[in-house]
Amino acid sequence: MKRPLSLFLAASSVALAAGPAFTARRPHYGGTLVVEEAAKLSSLDAPGNAAEARLKAQIESLIYDRAGRNDTSTEPGAFRLAQWEPGKDAVLAANEGYKDGRPFVDSVEIRMGRPAGDRMMDLELGKADVAEIPVEQARRAAEGGARISASRPDQLISIVFEGTSATTGDARIREALARSIDRAAIVNFILQKQGEPAGGLLPQWSSGTAFLFSTAADPSRAKEIVAQIGPSPKLRLGYDSGDPLLQAIGERIAVNARAAGMAVTPEAVAGGGRPGSGAWLTRMDMPSAEPGAALSYFLEQLKPIVARNEDREPLADPATPEQIYEREAAVAGSYSVIPIAWAPHVYGVSARVRDWSAPEPGKPLPLADIWLDQMDNTPGKKNR
Amino acid sequence: MTFRGKLFWMFTIALVLSVVLIAAGVTVVARKAFDENNAQHTEALVAQFQREFSNRGQEVAHRVQTIANAESTVRMAIDLARPTADPSIYVDDATGVSQSSHLDILDFVSNDGTIISSAEYHARFGYKLQWIKALTAGKTVDWVAQGPFLMKIDTQAGPAVALLAVSTVRVGDRNLYIVGGERLGREFLGSLVLPQGMRALLYLNLENKFEPADLMDENGAIEQADRFASSIEKDLRQPAERKFTVNQTADAKEAEVFHETPLLGRQSELLGILMVGSSQREVVILQRRIEVLAAITVVIGIVIALLFSWWGSARVTKPIQELAEGARAVSNGNWNTRVEVRGGGDVAQLATAFNQMTQQLADQRERLLQTERVAAWREVARRLAHELKNPLFPLQTTVENLRRSKDKNPDQFEEVFRESTGILLSEIENLKTIVGRFSDFAKMPQPELGAVNVNEVVRSVVKLFEAQFGAVGRPPITPELHLDEELPTIQADQTLLHRAVENLVLNAMDAMPAGGVLMLRTSHQDGKVDLEVSDTGTGLTPEECDRLFTPYYTTKQHGTGLGLAIVQSVVSDHGGRVSVESESGVGTSVHIELPSRPPKKPQTPEAVAVKSGE
Repeated sequence: MKRPLSLFLAASSVALAAGPAFTARRPHYGGTLVVEEAAKLSSLDAPGNAAEARLKAQIESLIYDRAGRNDTSTEPGAFRLAQWEPGKDAVLAANEGYKDGRPFVDSVEIRMGRPAGDRMMDLELGKADVAEIPVEQARRAAEGGARISASRPDQLISIVFEGTSATTGDARIREALARSIDRAAIVNFILQKQGEPAGGLLPQWSSGTAFLFSTAADPSRAKEIVAQIGPSPKLRLGYDSGDPLLQAIGERIAVNARAAGMAVTPEAVAGGGRPGSGAWLTRMDMPSAEPGAALSYFLEQLKPIVARNEDREPLADPATPEQIYEREAAVAGSYSVIPIAWAPHVYGVSARVRDWSAPEPGKPLPLADIWLDQMDNTPGKKNR
Repeated sequence: MTFRGKLFWMFTIALVLSVVLIAAGVTVVARKAFDENNAQHTEALVAQFQREFSNRGQEVAHRVQTIANAESTVRMAIDLARPTADPSIYVDDATGVSQSSHLDILDFVSNDGTIISSAEYHARFGYKLQWIKALTAGKTVDWVAQGPFLMKIDTQAGPAVALLAVSTVRVGDRNLYIVGGERLGREFLGSLVLPQGMRALLYLNLENKFEPADLMDENGAIEQADRFASSIEKDLRQPAERKFTVNQTADAKEAEVFHETPLLGRQSELLGILMVGSSQREVVILQRRIEVLAAITVVIGIVIALLFSWWGSARVTKPIQELAEGARAVSNGNWNTRVEVRGGGDVAQLATAFNQMTQQLADQRERLLQTERVAAWREVARRLAHELKNPLFPLQTTVENLRRSKDKNPDQFEEVFRESTGILLSEIENLKTIVGRFSDFAKMPQPELGAVNVNEVVRSVVKLFEAQFGAVGRPPITPELHLDEELPTIQADQTLLHRAVENLVLNAMDAMPAGGVLMLRTSHQDGKVDLEVSDTGTGLTPEECDRLFTPYYTTKQHGTGLGLAIVQSVVSDHGGRVSVESESGVGTSVHIELPSRPPKKPQTPEAVAVKSGE
């Protein structure tokens, strides 16, 4: 079994582009690829939260021949599940009979429940080959010499308003909050310039119309609106207690809001469960690079909020750019969702990993296509 | 109360008062000394705490200066001084540096006062730190000279008070300010070294009014914070050092003395109040121990006082008691009583005087007895002479008449002889009667005791004389009986009592030659029976009253003077008393007091002599 010629060519070109440290080599088979994940998957049947669902989809895309999020094929994939230790390890062995050819690596070991610090350290020590690292740490990691690979900004960080309480049901309060937020500062300081401010529900690279949505802070207007409202509005902004990025963004939003005369209190909620009522800081992955599909997915996810404001029919499939923009503008204009920023997925990749590329939205990690350089496999030695 | 009793209580009260006063004095002095010592101790500890506080400020300043001197900080300052500086890369630096420097507060602030990185308020990057901007506007501030200071700051968790220090790193004409410090709160309190028995409370003036939740100790907000409200509110109005006591419970042991120090900011605004409390537990326990000790001392002192008083009073009063017993013995007729003379004090002199007195009394009594005996014999002789003289004179004249008649008138001698012998026999009979009376008095028998009702005795005597009261030829005497029917029986000799009452009635009748009223009254009191025999006769003079009971003394022409002597003898033999009241021209009353049972007669030396056959 051999990989297609195009992959060989692609691998060679990437290796050449990587610089003088990487000499052009022929891909070869063998080795175990170690992937570290933050999520802990206890069962392949019932993922607990979004991170676990993402990991489940990741594993299933390797053991089944699936192309994307909506693909439910059960045809054997590039790997087969060789070992499964719930919540700890999953070992996938190469499927010798895979229809597209045997993967280069003999096996993939997925270590679950690894904290960000440990993942970074394992990458540096050569104990891990691929690990997703927090976007806010990407810049420092890169400056520290780590091999970083970032996807296109495909995570929407936003505030969604649920319920119809006196606070969340008042569009003026939502608008004041939206105008008070300094998105640029959030992207520059918190995301460390990894990503871009978000004004709409789709990123510029996907829709091409994101520039039409303002992302500039307007604290003066926010103060005016707050002054019109009367007594200083109080708002609790929930976020997943296990997400330090959302915590940092939530605290910054609270500072911005305070400057505009609003009292926003960030509140960590354990387990990632969303409150039934109130403002909720969340991040959602784009399911697809295609804007219509992505917007439909977001609208489906935000259905309760969107329905409250815009009781419309589902987006046409396929939708025209005008239809997409119009629907996106309607949601953004109601301030039921306040887009904050687009952030990429950032991966740390060890030096021996070849032919790596960050996955497109909705796509699994390209583990079947990468191969391991044999230049130095000594555990614990840096391979950069 | 006896003299010993009085002395005992006097000694006891004096000693107990002394012990109590001494114990109270010691307690008060000890308490005062403890209070002074405690106050000095607290002040020393407060001063120590304030030094510690000051040292912490210097330590903070040192740490901030160390951060300012660090290479990474200098690099940051150089980087930020560039026109194309990107401060975003430093946004997390304060957090890491603050952790390694053990500072709660750390801000990197650019030359224009913009927060580059903040440890205590991470999300505040990009905003201006207004106070540092205001302080540095157009002038250079010597932050080292400024030293550490207190300031109210904003943090992620809300407003707080921190002990701050500022250092600068100057690159060209631009400064990088490093603001570091320690947040005043329970962690800060917990890190301070306090002696045992002390605790530090901190009130943060975040609301400019008393908020119980802002009063904390090292464990967080304290319970019963309202107890501090009045003192804190005073400070909020006018900051000043104060001392006050707080009692968490009714138990004095739980009391704490607090020394309150206002914490002022750069503009002398009140940012907080530091309260150093000193537990009174040890002092109170010590004071209570002293009080218990004093109480035990008092109790022991009282017991000792009682014992000593008992012993002292017994020792002091023993000679006096002996003297009293001696005096009682003398009063009972024991004239030879002597008391022991101990030592040479006043009581010894008194005992000596007593002994001398009893010696003299005995001598005088002896002499008096001899004198009375002589006088009695003389009286007896006089009475005998008087009694015998009357019959002797007719005897003599009769015998002389016989002799003269035989010599001069022999013929009439026979007749004279018959008459004379008749007279002689008559007078001899008189002499016999006189001798018989004397004999009767001499032979007064000892009382034979039996149950006697005095009323019956009185009635029988009155009945005996009823005929004579109204006899023909003499003025009538009216008897009046006032007898107490509740009169108890007494142990007495009825015959002798009858004889005594008979003599009294006879005397009364003799005292009323012109008639009158004879009153006999009986009564009882305290187990004793009183008998009064009164007449309305001529009465007696005081001199006659004095001699009335003297044997053979009589105021009557033909009396023997033995009647009242017999009465006195009978009454005396029954252990009673007899007395006379008389007023001339009004009458005489004789009072007899008889006990329910005659006392045993003490054996007189004479009686002993008789019994022993001497």
